[in-house]
Amino acid sequence: MPALDTSATVHEAIVCDRREPVPGIVILGILASELVRTALPGQFVMVVPPSGERVSTAVGIYESQGDRVSLMLVVAGPRTRELALLATGDRLALFGPLGNGFDLHTLGRDVALVAGGVGLAPLLLPAQRLLAAGARVHLYYGARTSAALVDAELFRELGAGVSLATDDGSRGHRGYVTELLEREGRAHSAIAACGPSPMLRAVGNAAKKLGVRAQLSLEETFACGVGACWGCIVPLDRASAQAPKFPAVAPGETRDYVHARICKEGPVFWSDELRW
Amino acid sequence: MVAKALSPDISTTLGKLTLRVPTLMGSGCYGSGEEYASLVDLAQLGGVVLKSVTRLPRLGNRAPRLVPVASGLLNAIGLQNPGIESYLANDVAKFAERPCAVVGSVAGFSIDDYAYVTERLAARDEIDAIELNISCPNVDHEGETFGCDPQLAEGATRAARATTDKTLIVKLSPNVTDIASIARVVEAAGADALAVINTVRGMSIDVERVAPMLGNVTGGLSGAAIRPIAVLAVWEVARAVRIPILGQGGIETARDALEFILAGASAVSIGTGNFTDPRAPIAVADGLRDYLAAHGKASLRDIVGAANPGFLGGRSQT
Repeated sequence: MPALDTSATVHEAIVCDRREPVPGIVILGILASELVRTALPGQFVMVVPPSGERVSTAVGIYESQGDRVSLMLVVAGPRTRELALLATGDRLALFGPLGNGFDLHTLGRDVALVAGGVGLAPLLLPAQRLLAAGARVHLYYGARTSAALVDAELFRELGAGVSLATDDGSRGHRGYVTELLEREGRAHSAIAACGPSPMLRAVGNAAKKLGVRAQLSLEETFACGVGACWGCIVPLDRASAQAPKFPAVAPGETRDYVHARICKEGPVFWSDELRW
Repeated sequence: MVAKALSPDISTTLGKLTLRVPTLMGSGCYGSGEEYASLVDLAQLGGVVLKSVTRLPRLGNRAPRLVPVASGLLNAIGLQNPGIESYLANDVAKFAERPCAVVGSVAGFSIDDYAYVTERLAARDEIDAIELNISCPNVDHEGETFGCDPQLAEGATRAARATTDKTLIVKLSPNVTDIASIARVVEAAGADALAVINTVRGMSIDVERVAPMLGNVTGGLSGAAIRPIAVLAVWEVARAVRIPILGQGGIETARDALEFILAGASAVSIGTGNFTDPRAPIAVADGLRDYLAAHGKASLRDIVGAANPGFLGGRSQT
């Protein structure tokens, strides 16, 4: 995985566009040129709540080009509802980029990207970079229903293969996206995935069956987002290169895992190093 | 050169600890400070209270450890830390680089733990003062027992006091019937200052899974939701003791901080407020200067306890 990033700063940004491809999913374009320069594929930002009194919201960086980055929000509670109400010209404060991001160099020449819902967001930049470097990219993209499959065409236009799955069968495969991956994904060199934890566990199992490694970007509730509060831990193999340097293990303990911070050591981990 | 009007003095003291700015970053919320160094100029903070350290390493509680709730945050981290030996060997040296005060935080499960860890940590030059965390609600009650039982609170404070001359700040639990009576015994046992308050016990239930949200089942509530509880606690403690008070609980703005200061706090601690906006401590310091200037006050000391007729002093006895 890439070295831990230390370029996070506070950005005072302006909303430059807003799109709501389906009710409940909002893509906010913001002017933040420094973020475009510093953000690595798979990193995230923390968005300061405009009216305060709640913890900041972690959002994956979706598009990043020129002076503009975009953030894909799923409206799930009071914090995201407030952000979804922002309009062009509004100001918002955010800090980042944060987390490690995907390690694109270790994914090989034929990469499977697996997205569940708005887990799609942090996979666009990896798709662009991998395709630009000449790798083949195939997106496996699942959602509850066809209406929630946002921007699949964008990946096709970039040159990625796209396979879709919906829980209700309203578009593509009826069932889990990981079933598609297991059925169609025999040729891939590696997997990069983001989505809800149950899906990511299934991606890990599919990777094992397919005999490839998978980088999983974990979704979790963060408080600080910068590694200060230890609120977002996941059990990680002690031998992982990402394991915190001085882990809390008592003398004589034989436990083979440590608690790693998803926001700091992650959010991207190798599936075969997680002990969750 | 044109002489500039003097900015109001917002420096303060907690025991022997002098702070240029009356803001400390709450223990467990700010790591060791370096996590925030690229976001905030640490020189503009009064200081950082480090994450609590215990005698032995602790893995901490299982996930989930956090639940955002209305105007607040429930947490149950469980004092994850590498233990005092590893901490001294690997972590403490880098605290010397901090351009603000560094307050070590000590948690324990016996009176001997508090004495031992305080002695080891306070002996290090990188540590300016010690916070005694006798009020963590997230470790099966063993930890908080010390903050809820006057005899144990007194015992832990007295034992830690005997090991160091550095400023000893004892953090009180709000989960008691009468916080003033605990404050009195802790003052009598030799505390230099009191941190008021730690988190308020709480829990949240996932109605779909039909199970508690937190891995630890119960947690500690922080953030704006507990601010009125904390202001009242400071108000009551300020009428019961003469040692200075570090007010904390849901402070995000200067107005919030002023409530605590006017109730009797000599300094404030910002914890969860940093999760709302990392710029909060800077805004608090700037806002305090503005308030003093607007009210014709030269110094923060002039307004400590100003709203509290029963305020006993809040000055160090040293």
